[in-house]
Amino acid sequence: MMSLPWDPTERDNMANKQRGEGTSVEKKAENKKGADDFNLALDSSDDEAPEEVTFEDSKARAVESLKLALDTARREKELLKEKRRKRQEFFQEQKKKKLLSADLLEEIDSVPSKKQKQAEDKDEEEEKRKTKKPTGVRNLKGSYTVSTVTDRGQSDYQRQAAEDFIQSRLYGPGSCRSSNNEMLSLQNKTRADKSAAVQFVKKDWACKEKAKAEKLKKRWIHKQQIPTS
Amino acid sequence: MGEFKVHRVRFFDYMPSAIRSMAFNSHTERLAVARADGAVEIFNFADNYFQEKVIAGRDGRSIEALCWVGCRLFSAGLDGEITEYDLENLRPRYSIEAYGGPIWTISGNSEGTLLAAGCEDGTVKMFEVLEDRIQFQRNLSRQKGRIISLSWHPSGAQIAAGMMDMIRIFDSETGHATHRLLVDRGVGASKSREVVVWSVACLNDHTIISGDSAGKVQIWDGLTGTLIRTHLVTKWDVLVLAVSQDESSVIAGTSEGTIVQFQFISSTVGQQDKLWVRTRTFKNHSHDVRALVHTDSAVISGGMDTQLVVRPLLDKVEKNTQESALRKIAFPHRNLVSCAKKAGLLLFQFPDHLELWRLGESDRNETFPVKTRTPGESLPVKRKPEKLIQLKTKGEDHICCSALSPCGSWLSYATVAAVRLYRLQISSNNISIQKVSKLPRELKSVHQLCFSSDSCRLFASSSFSSVVVVALDQTDCKYLHTLKHKSGSRQPIHILSPSEDGQWLATANTDCEIHVFNLRKMKLHCSVPAYSSCPTAVSIHPTTGNLVSVHADQQIFEFSLKQKEYSEWSRQLQRQGLHPLWLQRDTPVTSIAFNPNNPAHIMLHDVFMFCIIDQSLPLPEAKTKFYNQMILRSLPEPQRLRESHAFKTCKNFQHLLSVNLLEDLSLVVVERPLVDIVAQLPAPVRQKKFAT
Repeated sequence: MMSLPWDPTERDNMANKQRGEGTSVEKKAENKKGADDFNLALDSSDDEAPEEVTFEDSKARAVESLKLALDTARREKELLKEKRRKRQEFFQEQKKKKLLSADLLEEIDSVPSKKQKQAEDKDEEEEKRKTKKPTGVRNLKGSYTVSTVTDRGQSDYQRQAAEDFIQSRLYGPGSCRSSNNEMLSLQNKTRADKSAAVQFVKKDWACKEKAKAEKLKKRWIHKQQIPTS
Repeated sequence: MGEFKVHRVRFFDYMPSAIRSMAFNSHTERLAVARADGAVEIFNFADNYFQEKVIAGRDGRSIEALCWVGCRLFSAGLDGEITEYDLENLRPRYSIEAYGGPIWTISGNSEGTLLAAGCEDGTVKMFEVLEDRIQFQRNLSRQKGRIISLSWHPSGAQIAAGMMDMIRIFDSETGHATHRLLVDRGVGASKSREVVVWSVACLNDHTIISGDSAGKVQIWDGLTGTLIRTHLVTKWDVLVLAVSQDESSVIAGTSEGTIVQFQFISSTVGQQDKLWVRTRTFKNHSHDVRALVHTDSAVISGGMDTQLVVRPLLDKVEKNTQESALRKIAFPHRNLVSCAKKAGLLLFQFPDHLELWRLGESDRNETFPVKTRTPGESLPVKRKPEKLIQLKTKGEDHICCSALSPCGSWLSYATVAAVRLYRLQISSNNISIQKVSKLPRELKSVHQLCFSSDSCRLFASSSFSSVVVVALDQTDCKYLHTLKHKSGSRQPIHILSPSEDGQWLATANTDCEIHVFNLRKMKLHCSVPAYSSCPTAVSIHPTTGNLVSVHADQQIFEFSLKQKEYSEWSRQLQRQGLHPLWLQRDTPVTSIAFNPNNPAHIMLHDVFMFCIIDQSLPLPEAKTKFYNQMILRSLPEPQRLRESHAFKTCKNFQHLLSVNLLEDLSLVVVERPLVDIVAQLPAPVRQKKFAT
């Protein structure tokens, strides 16, 4: 609500009404006025001044609201900070669980440094000396050894994919392939001393298919005989 | 002449592996062949196409390309590694990862300094060829799509790479792709599939020839990047191209099994305008052709039907001679079957396992002897042959060699990584096999294994052309000695043959040397005089002590160990010369056996025939009929003696993998008909023929 330095005239009120701001206080005042007007209808006049709101009051109110806003912002920040801190602690704990215990680390740390010291000593003694340390294997106190894991999963997968590519291009759909049986049978048919197709010439050709065919044949004959018998 | 009871063995399911890639070294005249199971074979073209060396493969190694750089052999495969082979020790020397995914092709430049590898991720990786290794140099600019084939320009300035749907030309100095040649897809249904440029070849005048999966051979101008000519060769894929040394002829191998030749000739004689014209078609194979080599005088092809075919070009060689004959190499030139003569057992060597079989029996109590039976009669089988043991190898390496002791109680095999020895106990109803765990350290890098005839010693040929002798006890073995010869050769020993009495050991290596060691004194006894052809079979006669050797050029020699010189019979054979039909055989003799009942007999076999040489009979003249057994049978007795000559051949059994004589004087003949192999090959293309 704007506090005018002068008493609001009718013209100002009209401007407000036109603006449509509907200053609630004014409306309230008007309603009040209206309510009062019921009782004192004859006494109301448009020139009545609205309630006086002092500058200090409004300033105090503004300051209050500012403070409130700041407070909420601060609170929110603090809440976020808390959350982050908690999460960080949780991660730290997880990491700790994953890592080896501190004494084990000390042990591992101490051994290679010892080795290095020994090597340096040896170097000091003899000028020409090859220090060959086997890569990938370290002997530690106790029964630990470190070695690399041969991981061929990726290369096997790629090799299989490449082989599948060749297989599909040469033998896949659209490659118009026949069978060895057909090829040999055609050879049998077209050569000088013609003979039968290979599956009849060679007794052990496609034994399983022949056995299956025999079974089906027997079943069919049996079926044919049942209605007649 | 003896009659034999013959065990015809057809249960060896030998299955050769498809030929995937070939590379020819014209300086040493060696052809390297890579098979689908990862094995690499070296053929000596100067020595009657003899299969000198075999480097066993391993599970998971699939070779896509082979390349000679000088005398060094490199291979690359879908496992992403480039391997260099040690041809003296028959093993891979080292492998390096190319880190580009599966490698589809490798190719060396003409100076022999750089090796280019085409990878799945679209990069062409350049490797520098150093003295003892190769080192990654740089990548050419990376492409979208896999690099299937590569070809260097003879000057080394450009590389043509065949990819999916296109060919890229790279400048090898800068590494940038200069041209992109777009390859048309096929018509009809294949328009939706990408066309794969399976092979490219770059010629000196910057012509690029490409073969693709739509069945076209296209000729491009590499300088402008334009298509000159298209030849539609087949309905299926053109899988491989090869260019002759003088760049006047190009051959293309197809999925149908045909090889089409294009020659750079002028369409009318005398005119200067030359074109690439399709001239000849060879149908050498029944299945896809996946590897081709074009030498000066021949076309060498191999593919899914596992046979290596050498077709001499009739305009380069003299017609109707031995040189111009078509050669098909379908069976290995070494023995994959070991026989325990005393126990009647057979050991079959497969790449990844061994099978031990007991032979069947026909009649235990003979009511009448064999001689009264008619030849060729089939005897009833009373007890069937049975498979006793199937032994799988541990690990991924394939088996190089295997051996079975004559008494049948020891079994041994070797891979590139290790040697394994097993003790067998076979009784009528119980079989036990026990591994001998602690083997001597000296038994490593073994190429050939052999047991002595009393089964007390094991001989193993090792690196630097030496032989390791190991003594066998009841359950363990002890290292005895390493036999070395003084000739300085480091080539691997491929034949080991101990004598029956255990005194001598004959060895032969791929440098064509034969050395005989005295086993009682454990040192070299003598070396047979050098002969230019590699020995394919060597054996020592049990009674006369003569060493009989048969070589790759089909020559036969007999060397007396006591006198350290060639025997009289051998000199006479050399003076007279062998019969031309004997010399024209194209498969080598892989084993020699002797008959204890008849010391004058030498029994040999190759893939197509089995022969007994009778040293007491006269040698055949060049004009006499060589295969005269059928004729002799029809002649009366006195005339038969006059007509017969020393070489008695029998062609009843085909295709022979092994012939052995058992202790009870019955023959074991291991056959593997070619039809049985063809029946198990992958599918051929469907050919529509008229009236079928």
